[in-house]
Amino acid sequence: MIGYYISLAMRSLRGTPILSALMIAAIAVGVGASMTVLTLNYMMSQNALAHKDDVLYAVQLDSWDPNGAYNRGGRGNEMPWQLTYRDAEALLRSDIPTRQVAMHRFGFTVTLEDSEVRPFVAETRVTTRDFFSMFDVPMLYGNIWNEDADTSPVQTVVLNKALNEKLFGGEDSVGKTVELNGEPFTVAGVIDYWNPSPKVYDLNNNPFSDSEEIYIPFGLHRKFQIYSWGNTNGWNSPDPEVEGYEGHLLSESVWIQFWVELDNDTRKKEYENLLTGYIQQQKEQGRFQRPLKFGLTRPSEWLVLNEVLHDDNRVLGWASLAFLLVCVVNAVALLLAKFLRKAPEAGVRRALGANRNAIFIQHLIESSCIGVLGGLIGICFALLGLSGIRMLSMGQIDQIASMDWLMMLAAIGLAILASLLAGLYPAWRISRTNPSIYLKTQ
Amino acid sequence: MLKMQNIRKSYRTDTIETHALRDFSLEVNEGEFVSVTGPSGSGKTTFLNIAGLLETPTGGEYLLDGQEIGGLSDRDRSRMRNEKIGFIFQGFNLIPDLNLFDNIDVPLRYRGFNTKERRRRIEKSLEQVGLSARAKHLPAQLSGGQQQRVAIARALAGEPRFLLADEPTGNLDSLMARQVMELLEFINEWGTTIIMVTHDPDLARRAQRNIQIVDGQVSDLRQSIAQEEIATV
Repeated sequence: MIGYYISLAMRSLRGTPILSALMIAAIAVGVGASMTVLTLNYMMSQNALAHKDDVLYAVQLDSWDPNGAYNRGGRGNEMPWQLTYRDAEALLRSDIPTRQVAMHRFGFTVTLEDSEVRPFVAETRVTTRDFFSMFDVPMLYGNIWNEDADTSPVQTVVLNKALNEKLFGGEDSVGKTVELNGEPFTVAGVIDYWNPSPKVYDLNNNPFSDSEEIYIPFGLHRKFQIYSWGNTNGWNSPDPEVEGYEGHLLSESVWIQFWVELDNDTRKKEYENLLTGYIQQQKEQGRFQRPLKFGLTRPSEWLVLNEVLHDDNRVLGWASLAFLLVCVVNAVALLLAKFLRKAPEAGVRRALGANRNAIFIQHLIESSCIGVLGGLIGICFALLGLSGIRMLSMGQIDQIASMDWLMMLAAIGLAILASLLAGLYPAWRISRTNPSIYLKTQ
Repeated sequence: MLKMQNIRKSYRTDTIETHALRDFSLEVNEGEFVSVTGPSGSGKTTFLNIAGLLETPTGGEYLLDGQEIGGLSDRDRSRMRNEKIGFIFQGFNLIPDLNLFDNIDVPLRYRGFNTKERRRRIEKSLEQVGLSARAKHLPAQLSGGQQQRVAIARALAGEPRFLLADEPTGNLDSLMARQVMELLEFINEWGTTIIMVTHDPDLARRAQRNIQIVDGQVSDLRQSIAQEEIATV
């Protein structure tokens, strides 16, 4: 009977094209508006590291000013988001974590000898080698640099797939040389397409920007005097006795992001003990004058702590659903008008053997058909809305302002749910109508 | 076949209670052709609606085919209506945007017949009313008489034992009315019980039995027909 009801529904929609178009438009506009906002919120709240949520931790140490807690505009847990270079360097010596990563954002001017490619600046991540295995970065060619490169200056580089295509036409470029800031670097490997959004591993900078094009070893800091291209925060002046770049490395400025992988609770406990001991040791040396405090935060909690999905976005999400509700209320009125106009037909069907449930289901399916059509058009509206947002954001949030198949299915589901809600009362009304009234007067 | 005992039906608004049927008792045997006459507002249509399970009586006992109707659910009454009762209305009540084939298909769908069986019954019933060639026409493309024949075909397709006709010739000219009446008589000869409400004494007289309803009750039958004949003369 479902097929029969669907054919009746389509016939009914064709029979009242203007009224049907209005109802479909009401659902489509509501679904389009709400799905635009919900898609943005959904994409913003994605956790690319969800599968490792129980083993990965962002590390925080409260090395901040004894006269006032770290304040990031009222957000977070009153601890610096990043570590000082010296603390990161010290923690890297621990063998408790299965993997550990110290890193930050940077930029290099890239040139290629004997090439028509003009010099350009490439987004760079300066990192320890565990970055690739910790964050499941897929390799396309070659491999990662050796462990030595994390602590000593080895001029090696890993390129991303797009940059490798730009520089080497997509060939296996392992062993070839590129110049970064005029210095030769040997290509150790090329990663495959990898672009988690939001970038859980670095939420300091735009969490929705593309992942970096170049990855170089952490051990190159002193040789190239690498500073952060991300946020650097400090609360006191560097030691005047240590000048220049070394002074920066030994300062209390925080600019290194630090992650550890701890396989189980025992390891985590051991690492907590290590951090406690380290802070106590540093206190004895006159540092860490605030109460002993550190943070080990899972990726999912890190996203919340960093407020990747702002409260404003949540409010907007609710507002869009309220707008959909307004559209549903309009659809209820239109459906009621349409169904009551068809009451004589329902009366005839009742006389011919249809029970109330059959009439109810028939009309509810007609509502669902309106929902499916409204949902499909709503998806087009949402795609238009998202492309408008992409245009307005000048490419800053391209990744999140796009709809995946799951959200498209959700749009259809939302549209059907909305139309079912809209159709419930009119369908119930028509199924409860006394058929004999219409049989005589038709 | 049909037995009503002290049936009452009243409609109530905020201020007024109207008694459409009062202590209405009637028995119709299988295979009978009964005409029902009476002035407007006397309760004829209410009787037909109750007989056809479209309305429930306020009181009294109604047995259809030996089954007490009072305690049946909407689902059971709908099934009984679908399987045992055929309706013919003054206004034909065809669904305007369905062609003749699909109109006749409606009760068969609710009966749960498969496609093949539905097609067989639809073609047979269209043939019985002489409209086989018009199966794909819409009701609006037919004359009034033809539309009423389609309505009869729709009623016959389910092979009901009981046919209720509410002024089936009321919207037809005399020629068409005679044709429809002949068709009903033909159907009755096959064994279908027919109850026909009509204002036309000539048609009423062609039935095997005539009852008159006055003020919601069955009145003296022979006297009522005689009075109507005098009035007509």
